[in-house]
Order: sequence, then structure tokens, then C-alpha cells
Amino acid sequence: MIERITFLQTPSRRQTSPGLKLIFRLDSKNSRFVISISLPNRMSSSNQGLLIGVFVCYNEEESPPRLTHLLDHMPFISFRDQDCSTMNRFVAHFAIFSFLAFGSLCGSPAIAKEIDFNRDVRRILSDKCFTCHGPDGEQRQAGLRLDQQISAFAKLESGETAIVPGQPGESELVHRITTDDEFTQMPPPESEKQLTAAEIAILKQWISEGGKYQKHWSFITPTRPKVPTSDRAGFVRNPIDHFILKKLQETKLSPNPQASKETLIRRVKLDLTGLPPTIQEIDAFLQDDSPKAYEKVVDRLLSSPRFGEHMARYWLDAARYGDTHGLHLDNERAIWLYREWVIDAFNNNKPFDEFTIEQLAGDLLPNPTVDQKIATGFNRCNVTTSEGGSIAQEYLVRYAVDRVETTSTVFMGMTMGCAVCHDHKYDPFTMTDFYSMFAYYYSLTEKAMDGNALLPPPTMKVPTPEQQQQMEQYSTQIAALQKDIKEKLLAVEYTDPTPDASQELSREDFVWIEDEVPNGANPQGNTPWEFVSVEKKPVFSGKTASTRTAEGLSQHFFTDAKPLLTIGAEDMLFAYVYLDPENPPKEIMLQFNDGSWNHRAVWGDKNAIDWGELGTASRQYLGELPALGKWTRLDVPIAKVGLKAGSKLNGWAFTQFGGTVYWDKAGLNTITPQAGMQFESLARWDAVQRGLKGEGLPGNIANLIKIEPDKRNAAQQNQLKDYFLEKVYKGSQEIFGPLNTQLAALEKSKNELDQQIPSTLIMQDLKEKRQAYVLMRGEYDKPDENRPVEPNVPAFMPPLPEDAPKNRLSLARWLVSAEHPLTSRVTVNRYWQKFFGTGLVKTAEDFGSQGESPSHPELLDWLAVEFRESGWDIKAMQKLIVMSGAYRQSSVVDPQKYTTDPENRLLARGPRFRLDAEMVRDNALYLSDLLIERVGGKSVKPYQPKGLWNAVGYTNSNTANFTQDHGEALYRRSMYTFWKRTSPPPTMSIFDAPSREACTVRRERTNTPMQALALMNDIQFVEAARRYARRIMTEAGETDREKIVWAFRTATSRMPDEKEIQVIQKLLTTYREKYVQNPDQAQALLSVGESPREESLDVQQQAAWTMIANLILNLDETISKG
Amino acid sequence: MDPILEHKQLMTRRHFFSKSAMNVSVGSAALASMTGPQLTAADTGQPTGGILHAPHFPAKAKRVIYLFMSGAPSQLDLFDHKPKMDEWYDKDLPDSVRQGQRLTTMTSKQKRFPIAPSKFKFQQHGNSGAWVSELLPHTASVADDICFIKSMHTEAINHDPAITYIQTGSQLPGRPSLGSWLSYGLGTMNRDLPDFVVLTATWTGRKSAQALYNRLWGAGFLPSKYQGVALRSQGDPVLYLSNPPGVDPTARRQMLDGLSQLNQKLYAEVGDPEINTRIAQYEMAYRMQTSVPDLTDISNEPKHVLDMYGPEVTKPGTFAASCLLARRMVERDVRFVQIFIRGWDQHGSLPNDISNQCRDVDQGGAALIKDLKERGMLDDTLILWGGEFGRTIYCQGGLSRENYGRDHHPRCFTMWAAGGGIKPGMTYGQTDDFSYNITENPVHIHDLNATILHQLGIDHERLTYRYQGRDFRLTDVHGNIVNDILL
Repeated sequence: MIERITFLQTPSRRQTSPGLKLIFRLDSKNSRFVISISLPNRMSSSNQGLLIGVFVCYNEEESPPRLTHLLDHMPFISFRDQDCSTMNRFVAHFAIFSFLAFGSLCGSPAIAKEIDFNRDVRRILSDKCFTCHGPDGEQRQAGLRLDQQISAFAKLESGETAIVPGQPGESELVHRITTDDEFTQMPPPESEKQLTAAEIAILKQWISEGGKYQKHWSFITPTRPKVPTSDRAGFVRNPIDHFILKKLQETKLSPNPQASKETLIRRVKLDLTGLPPTIQEIDAFLQDDSPKAYEKVVDRLLSSPRFGEHMARYWLDAARYGDTHGLHLDNERAIWLYREWVIDAFNNNKPFDEFTIEQLAGDLLPNPTVDQKIATGFNRCNVTTSEGGSIAQEYLVRYAVDRVETTSTVFMGMTMGCAVCHDHKYDPFTMTDFYSMFAYYYSLTEKAMDGNALLPPPTMKVPTPEQQQQMEQYSTQIAALQKDIKEKLLAVEYTDPTPDASQELSREDFVWIEDEVPNGANPQGNTPWEFVSVEKKPVFSGKTASTRTAEGLSQHFFTDAKPLLTIGAEDMLFAYVYLDPENPPKEIMLQFNDGSWNHRAVWGDKNAIDWGELGTASRQYLGELPALGKWTRLDVPIAKVGLKAGSKLNGWAFTQFGGTVYWDKAGLNTITPQAGMQFESLARWDAVQRGLKGEGLPGNIANLIKIEPDKRNAAQQNQLKDYFLEKVYKGSQEIFGPLNTQLAALEKSKNELDQQIPSTLIMQDLKEKRQAYVLMRGEYDKPDENRPVEPNVPAFMPPLPEDAPKNRLSLARWLVSAEHPLTSRVTVNRYWQKFFGTGLVKTAEDFGSQGESPSHPELLDWLAVEFRESGWDIKAMQKLIVMSGAYRQSSVVDPQKYTTDPENRLLARGPRFRLDAEMVRDNALYLSDLLIERVGGKSVKPYQPKGLWNAVGYTNSNTANFTQDHGEALYRRSMYTFWKRTSPPPTMSIFDAPSREACTVRRERTNTPMQALALMNDIQFVEAARRYARRIMTEAGETDREKIVWAFRTATSRMPDEKEIQVIQKLLTTYREKYVQNPDQAQALLSVGESPREESLDVQQQAAWTMIANLILNLDETISKG
Repeated sequence: MDPILEHKQLMTRRHFFSKSAMNVSVGSAALASMTGPQLTAADTGQPTGGILHAPHFPAKAKRVIYLFMSGAPSQLDLFDHKPKMDEWYDKDLPDSVRQGQRLTTMTSKQKRFPIAPSKFKFQQHGNSGAWVSELLPHTASVADDICFIKSMHTEAINHDPAITYIQTGSQLPGRPSLGSWLSYGLGTMNRDLPDFVVLTATWTGRKSAQALYNRLWGAGFLPSKYQGVALRSQGDPVLYLSNPPGVDPTARRQMLDGLSQLNQKLYAEVGDPEINTRIAQYEMAYRMQTSVPDLTDISNEPKHVLDMYGPEVTKPGTFAASCLLARRMVERDVRFVQIFIRGWDQHGSLPNDISNQCRDVDQGGAALIKDLKERGMLDDTLILWGGEFGRTIYCQGGLSRENYGRDHHPRCFTMWAAGGGIKPGMTYGQTDDFSYNITENPVHIHDLNATILHQLGIDHERLTYRYQGRDFRLTDVHGNIVNDILL
């Protein structure tokens, strides 16, 4: 007796008609149900997939049904498994027909049990009819709407009635779907949406039974279903298993036995922390015979900081987290504090309702904490632009649309995206619903153009407690110093020695460079500026001299000094130099920048430094090298290097070819007044400054200078005088010089610390909100003035509380309210997907009527209610799932089970699939002991092939060139890798990580040659193999065998058997021979990667083991969870 | 199943396992799973892995080479000859022409919109009499093989959204690119090389060039295996292709044999068909290690062929070198090759910069047509040339007869197509005297994409993918095939 026939149809009937026909026939003579499959004459490899999904479950007491033709093909024909997940995404129609016992069947093909609208009918109507007879009012034909009972039962314009409950014969719908008349046939022949015979039968039966409508299942608030009673010793561990078992028993499948303890600890550690177990962890678990052994492991893993990181990784896909803006220039963006917040939230087991509220509306909570504001980065992660020429309004709309789509996908499992342009075709979203959601995000203070800035506002500085304390300390010290200076100023008695300002200055040295670069300048060089102090090395004046030791040409220099050095007629530039007699240079050079660097003076060898043209201002030869071992003043007449009166310098370079050189005090011998000079006379300084228009003075002082002296009031005059006495007056510099230096140093330190304090992007609403409208056809410049909208939730969903304010906080609270039908279901479904590879609802991103129905609807609801009623306890939900018997099953694929359920939706076996991109890399780093286990921080740039950013980057982008980090940054977990969204990290993309340009709640899992190449050859993986080899040689036992066993076990979590050991041993011998014969190759292999090699290890031996490690890191088992 | 095909597949399997030193028993589920993954074009002579069991209709083109001019070249200085504009020099663009259309914010605040006639000379070429500017002499010499479409248009007004639009059918990131739709639909014809390859060429025009984005050849929401593979001129031509230092091909083969044995043994015990697929992917990776260097080694190309592509052909990474590689790829059954060259965004100093850009692309592009024609491959290889939008007749910034700049102009631009069932020697569509509005036969970028798919045998309305509850396609809900330009 046949209980059920399930078949997976051809990918889409609209795309192809392969000629496949299923014919159901009752063979009454033999009391048997016969299914014939008529195949096209010729089946090519490309349509062999057609048959995979056909499976038949029959009552065990009966003999199997005869499957004419089918059995001939069945065992041999299958989709490639790699394509299964793919195929099933476009296998749009997974139709399940349930055929009941038919002992009393009389000629009718099959009588199904009572039709359930959501299970049986909605999909058919949605797929085949809603385009023209659905929620979208603009497309609706003949006034008929089949998604609502009231409309479907009503009399139409034509006078007909589509559905007459209980009377298929009277129903126009039935007539239209059964007629052969091409003019009245529905769906119209040209639409290629033809109904199958089975679909027609279902619709007829549904109407006969009264045509009952139901709300789409996912829009009904879940209630806790009764847990089915079923039992099976050794399988049922918690309520989850009763639901699973019930379904398995319905389909006559039985669960696999529990997985081995090794498999189990590997699976659960990978699933909860993203990393494999160590041998010590495995052994401890193997030796623990207590009934709570497994639970202890689970509890331990749930409290590991790695748990939060691993959970956060999935969330960051959904939040579309990236380290760049994502559009156009794709400059860097700093929002990693948000990433850290997510990790901490999971590690601290923040309840999911708080987690939601803080991310969507943390800024609107009463007295929000810093953390609650950081959380709002969730909706600042969207891609933004600053492309020249862009129209701001267009982007304000796009950002708000992105936020609605992300929020609705993440929390409600549907994008609502269709309703941007028209009422949704399949789900009851209207445009008004969409733009009401849109209105929540339309009144933010952010600008449409991100300015290509690291921190486009609104942002927030987030100091650590230590930084906060240090900042306060600096402020206190600065205030004390300022007070001290003020008091000392009061004590200075000053009389202007030469109140006549017209007296000429005498020519003297103005020192521009002493102990440090001038104000505001940006010190650079082949290597950074190095200073030596007077205690140890030669110093001419002040406290330090700069120095440099070079092979060949090398220099240090600065640019951007402010105020500029103003050159007068016949001035002389000077600098003091000391050449090391032990290591003299070949040539030295001074170089000046007045906007161009083409002003050079050289001493010594004329040509060692070959910049510029000898004999011109671009390379002027000024004599032999100065005497070695003593300080010499070098003078450069300005005309020699092409400078003239009025030239202004902003930069200066000290260059040498070879040797060790010391440089000290440098500047200009001049009578031209310079900003920053010291004076005896206030009046004279005042006059000079007026000539310079206050250049180089602080703003308030410069403003005073610009006032004619006789027009200043007493207070202004006093302020100027105080400034003069403090900063300029020669006579008081002994007192104030050191104090000012101290003050400057403190202010510099404070400023530097301030720069180090990280900031992050946050949400903030405008005080006056923008009025949102429905946008006609979704066009930003076509607001429908007749349809203004207020922030609100979709009308067909449970309403907001009456008194709820119209802001994001109400939206967030609504999402996690007890009545919300979707949030809890969607969230537990993603958790399920994380552990089992596929969600209970396979389309994790679509819970609407076009999405797949849940494989276990009652289980989904039970979990959703459990999650909500547990207080949205995330860790408890993870634990519940991993404690289930379903999760603990062995993943061995029994061929028959595979044929029955290739995707493992029924869970008659445990989950098995390849690790995600980040896990593949982290796993290799962990096995080779390279992984740095530290939570949080800025993103890092590990190895990446040269030129990837450059090939695509906008030339002026600050991410146009990739500069790899070194040291620990190479070995952080992959979730900390810098994510440039227009060119994501290649080893991540190759293993299916998304670009993070848009919200992703489900990753594809592909299997490609690019993945093989990366695992075999990427420097990161080869270095890991080398370091893994080191561990094998130093941590495992003495013999090859012990080493092989240790290595295999560390990577796969299980003991290898004899055959496996043999294969590896044989290969090891081969490689040993090879590398003993080719020591250079061994050396080359061991030089891959920046981590140091253990010199005590034999090179050839380590090379051979490195190849073994490379093999092991490439095993399917190493990169899979089994 | 076709018995011959089935036999071939079994032979392939047998051959494959004969390499294995370990005797692995293969269960029936294993057998079932084996009829897929290792099969390749070379085994069966048919494309594999595509979602379409067969093309919707017979394909005119088997391959596509898409020469993409990123930054948007000026149609006014290359193809869309507007002699009347000479009299309009420095006069304002009439409002009747502009019709209040939106402008980018780069020029919308300009007080005037003075007409900048092209300084370059135009001539008619070939029997078809196509107008081509003096900047493209080589292209002009093959004008009779080309169909110039002068009435292209788009809605996007800035580079990022516009290039994303023409390549993926949407102005926003997240959708699959043209090439990945093709791979998804048609599968691969190749057992040694990727199906969809992208090159980014060097350029000599304006250095500060618009960005490209991986999404332009990305798979969007399709599985990532359909994304374009970049063929690089720096380092490994394909990422991670080379064995590490100290590992020679023999050592790699030995490792792969060991790996295969261990993976097969695991498969026999665990039964997960994914393991089998992985074994096959490692074999493909190994083949690529030989086939890619063979592809990029042009030392055997005869001199007359190299000469045809011009002196830059031997300089890795140039447009000419990329064109030659494109030909070598399509010869090896790579279905879709896309060359992106940047530097066309000429808001100022256009005459100087566009001359350099044209020197970069002219000879290589023309050589591709000649070379494929000589090999008899032009008929079923579709070549496309163009950018993401056009440029304005009015000047951006300072205007003189000799120097000017042009802003973005989405309302009309010129692209050209050759081969692959497109009518040669044809000019399609017209614009007004200002090359501002289309006056005849507009071709939207969705129409172009629909036509490209059509030439490959795909009905653009029927190649769909369900995501987030919606059947997505490259052309969204638009696109009309440009039948007038088809043979």
C-alpha cells in the first residue's frame, strides 16, 4: 500500500519541457498502484537530474510498487551532489502529494487526505496565479484576487464566480484550469505556468472541501505545539528528537546510531567555537565515562571566548559588516567596535530581544550607554558612496531602502524588497507597508555623501577606561602648567627697550630646525628620523642631533611645515654637519622644498647622488666633503639652489650616500622677519607680525595683530603683551621656554592619545524628521504627494501598541514582542541551519509564500516558542540543539537513505559538510599553533597576493594599494581580516564567503578547483604546513608511525587505520628521498611564510614532513565537519 | 540515458579509478553519485553543469569577448559624428535639447553649458560608410565587420551604479554578473580552464581612474563557483596556481595521489558524495596548473599574428596582450572573456587623454576581429566594445577649440558589436545633432543584455533564479531583443 509519493520536479516547468511524464494507475487485479514514467526518447547527461527526487514510500508489509522504467535508471541517476544544494534552490516546486490507503478505491486516481490550504494549495496559487490575481493591484486581471477568500468567492465583473465553496462544478476557476480552449484556459498557454494534473486535482478537491483559506503559516503567531510521543532508545535526548522521530517514522526511515565520541567532540567544538578539538580534549572526553561527559564539554565550549567570535561571524554576514564603504572609492571605514560589540554580546549571552533592540535603536533607549550606541552600528554597515556628481536624494533613499531590506530579512525572513516599486506579488506587503518601514530610517542625521571619510558622522569616540584616565591626567597637568605660566607672567616686569618700531633688524641666524622638525611638519624618510642625545654621540647644540647610517642613497626629510620659512634677498641657508670618521659618506646633500624639491646642494662625490642635473640649481656642487670627525657649518647661498627673495620653504631634506652622518641646527641667515623669531621689543615684534599678517600665530592673537595698535583696547593690548612675554620675548625665554616646551609636549601626547582612541559609526535621528512618501515606481524623485507615510509596521502584521512612539525603538520592541510571528522562528531557523547545514525552512531568507515550507513545522514552532519563553536565551538554544539526539547521530551516509533524502532534510543521519571559509583558514592556523587567540581590535591584513586591490581600486582611494601586516596580525582569526568590499579577501571569497555588500543570511557551499589551489599553494596554508611539521617533529612521539598517528589525529580528530598510515608512510619516504637529494628545494619550501623556522630541526626532514602536513591539511576530512 | 554517453561516462570512471592504488569498494550510492562530478566537456563533448538542459533556441554565438571601456568613452569624439556642432562652438546647449533632464552634481551648478565640438576628424570607412574618428584607425579598417549601436542608453548617471547596472542589471550591489548568469545557465565547455575569465588591462590615459569592483564579475546570490576568475598579469595568472617554492610538479602529483587515495577511502566509509566531487576538483586544479601556463605562453605565436596586435602585445597586462590572451582562451573553449580597461573618465583634458586611451585599445580590438575571422571563429564569437554611459556635448570646465572636458551622459552613447550572429557593417540607431537625445531605435542596456543572452541561445526571460522569494533575471523585468541587428 502506497502511503506517499514524493517527487522533485524538473527545475522549472517554465524553463523546459523535458517530456517526462508520471502516470499513476491503479492495478486492481494485483491490488497494486503502478507508476509509469515515460521518458523522452533520449536522455542526455544534462537532464539526468530529473529523476533524483522521485521516491516512493510504501507500507512495509506490502511488496514494493512496480516502477516501470524507473528502476532501470534509479540507482544510476542522480544529481551531482555538489549541485544538489544549488539545484534545489531553483527546484521551485517541491510538491508533496500524500496518497492515502486506497483499499476501497474505485477508479479514481487517488484520494488525498483533507487538503490543507497552506500545505497544499497556497504554493500552487502563488506560483501559477498570483502574478495576475494576487496582492499587486496594478497587475490584477479581471478584478479577481485569489489570495483572499472574500474576493475569490465574490461575483466577478464577468458575472462568474471563481470559487463556489463545495462546488467545483460551479466554480469558474475549475472550468478555466481544465478547459482545452486556449482562449479561456488558465493560466494562459503563453504564460508557461501550466498546472500539472496533480495540481488540478488538488485545487478541485480543495474547492470540494469548501475552499478554506488560511493565513500564510509564517504570519500566524506560533504557539507551543504538543511534543509528540515517540520513543527510540538511545536516540531521544530532548523534545527536538520526538519531532524528528515522528517524521522519520512517517517516512519509514530510522535514525543513525550516535556518532563516535571523537566525531562528536569534533563536531560540537567546530560548531560552537569554529575550531577543532585538540588531542588532549579528545582524550579527556574519551576517558570521561560519566553520563554528563558530553554536556560538560558543551558547557565548557559555550563559555569559551571563541564561542562569541564564532557566533558573531554569522551575524556579521547578516549585518553586511565591512571595513570599507563598499561603493566607488571604497575607502576605509572604522566600525570594528561594532564587531567587538557583537562578539561580546554573544560571549555575555545577551538575550536576543535586548540584542535586537540595542542594534536597531540603542540610541533611543533612555540614557543609552556607550555600548548601546555602539550597537546601532548594525544599520550603519550599509554600503555608502561619495562619488562626484551623485545626487544626494537618490542615495538617502537607497540607504533607507537597504536598511528596510536588511532589517526585514534578518528579523522577519523576508526582504519586502519587491514592494519598493509595486505592491508585492505574492505576499501581502503593499507599497504603503514598505514606505512606512522606510520612514523609520529616513530621518537620520547621516549625510548622503560619506565624504570618503574613515568616520562619516554621526560617530562616537570610545576610549578605554585607561585611555579615559590618561586623558584626564593630561588635562590636569596642562591646566596646572597653564596656571603656573599665568602666575609667572604676572611677575615679569617689562619695559620696551626700543619702542620705536622702525629700527632695522640685523642680519642673524634664524634657527628653523633644532631637536625636532618645525611646527606642523611631517617627518618622513627611507627610515624614520633618528635622534641621538648629547650623552652618547656628537651633538652641536640643543639636546639632540639627527643621524642616519646608510648603504647607498638614504635621506630623512619633512614637508608641510607651518609657518613657512620666508627667504630674503642674499640670505644664506645653513646647517651643521658631522661626518663619522669611521664610516664617512661618499656624498651629502641638502635639499629644499618650496613646492618643488628641485633645489639641491651637494658636497663630496658629485655623482653618487644622481638626482637633478649637475651644475644647475637642481644639483649644485658646493665643494669637498667637510672635515671628518668635527662639526662643520654648511652654508648655501640661496641663488645657487634657485631660490630668491620671497621664496617660502615648507620642507627640508638631509641626504647622504653611504656612511654615518649627524645633522644639527639648521636654518636661514637673514634679516627677513620670520614667524617664531624671538624679540626684545614688543613694538618691533608687533610691527613685524603685522607685516606677516600674523602668520604662524594662534588665531586669536593673529586677529589682535591685525587691529591697528592705536585701535586696540587695553584688554587686547594686555593679551598681546602676555603672549609676547610668554612666547617671544628673549628676556623671559629662560623662564617660559622650558615651560612652553613642557606644555607643547603634554599637548602633543594628549593629541596623540586622542588620535588613538577609536571611534565608531552610530545611528542618530534628525530633530525635525523628514516627511516620507510612497515613491512612485520606487523612484527617488517621484514622491507621491498624495501618499505621505508615517513610520509604522506592515498592516497585515500585529499592530504596534496604541501609545508607541513612531520611532525605531517601537519597531525593535515590536519585532521581539510575544505576538510577533516571525522573529523567533526566523532566528531559531538560522541556528538550526548553522548546525545542520540547512534550516528547517530551507529558504532562511524567505519565510513568505514563495519560500519553502518548513520540513518540521511543529518543531520550528516549538523551538520558536521555547526560545522566546526562555527569555531569548541564545546559549540555551545552542545547547538545546547540540544536546539533541538528532544532532548527535553519525553522519555516515547509507546509500538507501541518501537516495531517499539526499539533502538530509529528515535527519536520519547527522550533519556533514565542509567548513566555512573562515573556519578553513582558522583551522589551519590552529593546527599549526600559529593562531593568535585574542578577542577584538582593528582589522588586520594578512597575506594576500600582490595587485588584487590595485587591479580594481580607484587610484585615489586609500584602499587602492594593499599593504600587508606582519607579526601577530598574520595569524588572527579570519573574522578580523580587513574586508575590502569591492575586493574581498580572496581565500574567503574562494570558499564562498559573501562580499558583505548586502545582507546575507545563508551562504552557498561550493566545491571548486580554486579551493584546491588555495589549500595547496597559498602562502598561508603552506606556512601552516611548515609549522604543523614542526609540531609533528617536536610534539609527537619518536617513530614515524607515532608522528603520523599524531598528525592525522590532530587534524581529523580520529585515529588513522593501517591503510591510512601506510599511504602516508609511503609518501613520507618518497619525500625524504627527494629532499635529501635536493636540499635547496627543502630550504626553499621551509622559507615560505614570515614566522621563524626552528633552526634546530633538520631541513630535509622538516621539508618532507611539511609535504605530509600539506597533504593532511588538504584532506576532505580535515576541512569538513563529520 | 543515451547508451553511448553512459558508456563514455563509465569508461571515464574506470580510467579514473585505475589510477588508484587502493582497492576501494564502491557502493551503489557511490556509483549513483559518480555520474556527475568528474564528467567534463572533454569526456562527453557537451557542456556540463548548466541549469539549462539545452539552449532555449539554437545559439548563434558560442563565446563572448567583451571589451569594457570603464569610465565611459566619449561617443562624440569616437563614433557619433556631429559636424553641425562646429558652428555651435561655445554656444549654450539649448534648453529645448536638454529638456530639463537631470545632470550630475559636477556640472549641474555650472552657469553655462557651452557646446564643445569634437576636435577630431571623422571619415566614413568601408563599404558600409561608417563614421569613425581619426583616433581609431585600426577599428576603422574593420568597420565592415562591425555593428555600431549609437543609441545605447541607461538611467544611471554615475560610474559605480552605471557599471554595476550594465554588468549585473541592477544599480545596487548584490546581483550576479552577465558572465556568471552565462555559466549558471550554460555550464562549462571546458575541463582545464575556467568558463568565465576576467582581465584588467593597464592604461595610459588619465591615471586617476574610476574603480572596478569584484561584483562586476561576481556571482551575486548565485553560488560562488559561477563567479569570473581573474587572469592576472602579475604573479600567478590564476590565484594560487603555482606550487610553492621547493615543490615540483612530481612532488605535487605524489601528494595528490596520496590525497586521492585517502579521500576515496573516506568516501567508501562515509558515503558523502561531496567527497567524490572534491577528488575531482583536485584533479581539475592539477590540470589547470599545466593548462594555464600553456595558455599564457605566447612564445609560439607567429610573428604576423603578434604584429597584428601591435607592439604592446608582448608587454604583459596591456590591452593588446589581453586581447591576444582572449583569443587564445576562446580557442580553448573558455566561454566568456571580459577585458576591463580603465581611464576613460575624461572630465577635463579630454583630447589628450582620449588619444592615449585610443592608442591603448585600437589595434588590439581590431586585431581580435581580424584574427578570429582568419581562424573562422568570428561567426560564432561575439565581440562587444563599450562603456557604462556616454559623455555630454557641453563642456565641463574650461573650453577651447583644442581642449575641453565632458561630463557623464546616460541618455545616449555608442557601443559596437561584431561576430556572433550580429549584422556586420551596420550602424544602428541615431541621436540628435547634439548627441544628446536618441531620435531613432533606442537600445537600453537591458536590451543589449537580452540580445547577448539571445545570441547564446538563452531566452533572457526564462533564465531565472529564485532568491528571497522572487525569480530574478539579468534583465530584471525589462529587455527587448534588438532583432534589427541580428543576422
